Amino acid sequence: MKPLRTWLASAAFAATASFFSPSLANAACAIEGSGEVNVITNFFPTLELLAAKMKECAKPGLKVEVKLTTEMKTEIPRAFEAASSPFDGAAVANSSIVQLQSKGQLMPLNDLVAKYKDTYKIEDQMLIRFGDDIMAVAFMANAQILYYRKDILEKHGIAVPTTYDELLAACEKLKGDPEVDHCFSAAYGNSWELGNEFIDIFVAMGGQLADPQTSQATFNGPEGVATLELMAKLAGYMSPNALAIDFGGVKQEMQQGRTAMAFLWGDIAASMDNPEESKVVDKVGLAVAPKAKADGAISTLFWWDGYVIPKNLDGDPDLTFQVMMEAIKAETVTENNDITLWLRSNYKPTKYADAIVKSVEAGAPPFPMTPQVDLAILALGENIGDAIAGKESAQQSLDDAAKAYTRAATDAGYLK
Amino acid sequence: MRTGTFLGFVAPSVLSMLLLIAVPLVGVVYLALYQSHVKTEMVEVRTKVPLFGGLSRDQVSYVPQAVLDEDGRPIRVWDYVGMQNLAKASEIDELGRILTKPRDEASLPDMIDSMYRDITNLDFWSAFEFTMIYVVATTPLMLAVGFLLALAVNRATEQLKGSLIFVSLLPMIVTPVVSSLAVYWLFLDNAIVATVLRELGLGRIYFLKDAVTIRILIIAYGVWYAAPFAFIILYAGLQTVPKESLEAARVDGATRWQAIRLVTIPHLMPLFAVVVLIHLMDAYRVFEPILVFNSRVFASSLQYLVYIAMSFEDNIHRAAAYAVLTVIGIVILLTPVLISTWREQRSTP
Repeated sequence: MKPLRTWLASAAFAATASFFSPSLANAACAIEGSGEVNVITNFFPTLELLAAKMKECAKPGLKVEVKLTTEMKTEIPRAFEAASSPFDGAAVANSSIVQLQSKGQLMPLNDLVAKYKDTYKIEDQMLIRFGDDIMAVAFMANAQILYYRKDILEKHGIAVPTTYDELLAACEKLKGDPEVDHCFSAAYGNSWELGNEFIDIFVAMGGQLADPQTSQATFNGPEGVATLELMAKLAGYMSPNALAIDFGGVKQEMQQGRTAMAFLWGDIAASMDNPEESKVVDKVGLAVAPKAKADGAISTLFWWDGYVIPKNLDGDPDLTFQVMMEAIKAETVTENNDITLWLRSNYKPTKYADAIVKSVEAGAPPFPMTPQVDLAILALGENIGDAIAGKESAQQSLDDAAKAYTRAATDAGYLK
Repeated sequence: MRTGTFLGFVAPSVLSMLLLIAVPLVGVVYLALYQSHVKTEMVEVRTKVPLFGGLSRDQVSYVPQAVLDEDGRPIRVWDYVGMQNLAKASEIDELGRILTKPRDEASLPDMIDSMYRDITNLDFWSAFEFTMIYVVATTPLMLAVGFLLALAVNRATEQLKGSLIFVSLLPMIVTPVVSSLAVYWLFLDNAIVATVLRELGLGRIYFLKDAVTIRILIIAYGVWYAAPFAFIILYAGLQTVPKESLEAARVDGATRWQAIRLVTIPHLMPLFAVVVLIHLMDAYRVFEPILVFNSRVFASSLQYLVYIAMSFEDNIHRAAAYAVLTVIGIVILLTPVLISTWREQRSTP
């Protein structure tokens, strides 16, 4: 009986503690005002932390709800185009903001930023501007970088590849090493991710996705073919299942020591050294993305994540803004310095952020923020797999993608 | 029964069917006949994007911007497009072009092969191809598996029956997305199945790498998922098979197989028809394994197209058009089964 009693007692204690904790937490969050704030965000560790921070602002009379969902790409546009949005705020990124901004669904935040600039120490480098309008307040940055096994490259005397040609040559050398299942891994499984991988290389090849004046697809030209042919070559050194393996799977292959190099988002670098989930602690090095052409740019794009408020919210924008700013205030960054790449100036870059910093210094451009590109990603992701699988030529796949893009852009009213 | 009483009894179900089936269906058809988008104009916009470490970068580009009304709300344009969405979704023009395109392949099989490849390169027709393969392959297999399960459980001892039925029903209880994920995780690189096969000396097998294995996997999943339904219906049916007829058959010297073939199966025929009918409807809407297995390069489905149009292209009208095409497909698919059932119903006194 004793264990049961102990268990009951601790359960009771936990319940009491959680009952009192909101009032304790309120000491940290000092928001005046009452009402209800609903925020929808994507689902990854940093956003989970920020969601918890927002919820700490809840008190009698002020209800704070945060919906964390990977389906935000579907849910946010639905909510923001309705007569009234059940969500008063949302976390978005480069590509997801454009569909909302171009449809005029976002509230300019200039007044709120001016009002609370001092209270929350909102820094200029956190503001996303479209023309004169501040449309989002960003808090973190991200870019895809090259993860590599230091021990394996050293064993073969291979230098860290700086171009994709060097990477292919390195993979050729690693063939037959029993330690390596597959030389390279990248997220080719999920449509969106596959399209994104294409765009990373394509932009570095000097390509332009769509004509800026007419919105016509231009990704099926020679740069596109070169990009896709390179991707097919890379796929040759990946798991034969690569077209069915998404980002989570690639991360796992790296952590399980099955692959020598991988192209992954920079913000998860620390997870390679987490002994609870990784078998390759201290063995993984980080480098900027390889160049697509020897004399060209590195093949990666720069991303940010930030908060927006829709025009059609059913709550109070002032209150919503305060709750969101409360979550990303300077103290949050100080207390959680290592979990991501914060944009605030009090962030102290860690060794995990180094490769992203170098990417910026090397001139990685921001992911193009136009709604046409958002449509192009999916058109590409849905169609170029055929060429990578060897079912058809690169040109034919790209023409199929261009056709799908044209259809979608016409329906969206961008193409006449 | 008096008409009044009859109407009183059926009214609730008629009403709920109208509300939950007819109204949404009409709504989908309505959506499929229109096309709408936010009115935009190309504007030169300077975007300022923060970069890491206090740097930021300006980008000037032409971006479509919403045209706002006097209240500052975006204007949404609705156009009646008639059959245009359906024609575009079913890619009927492209299909026509492919069928009439002159081909210079030497032999007829080569010609058909190249034509088939062109057709299955179209989004809709490639989705249709695998949807039909899935329907045709899973239907007999799930009937067979379900029936064998029912026969086996029927012969088990009374104490075992309860747990056997429960275990057999598990695939039906688990949410399809979850069970698809479980199967996907079983067959990934270095997952249990691949590892066991490697340890057995069969080498590395990659199940998700080409059309044949990935399709077999999805079909096997489909059978595993659908068989319990056939099982439970047929098992219930087995309880009604008259013992006298079975005994008589055995007395007349029929083997067990003959008894099943000549007594049990004819007795269960109406149930087989019901199971097939419902499974056809279900199988035609295959979606979860396609999404979860990331199999779109090798196996797509009509419902997957609905999902893509809806959640990525953000185009509810195209999604509705695919949905209408799905409904039409199901109706065509069910017609022969319905006709034969109706004939049977009429012939039995």
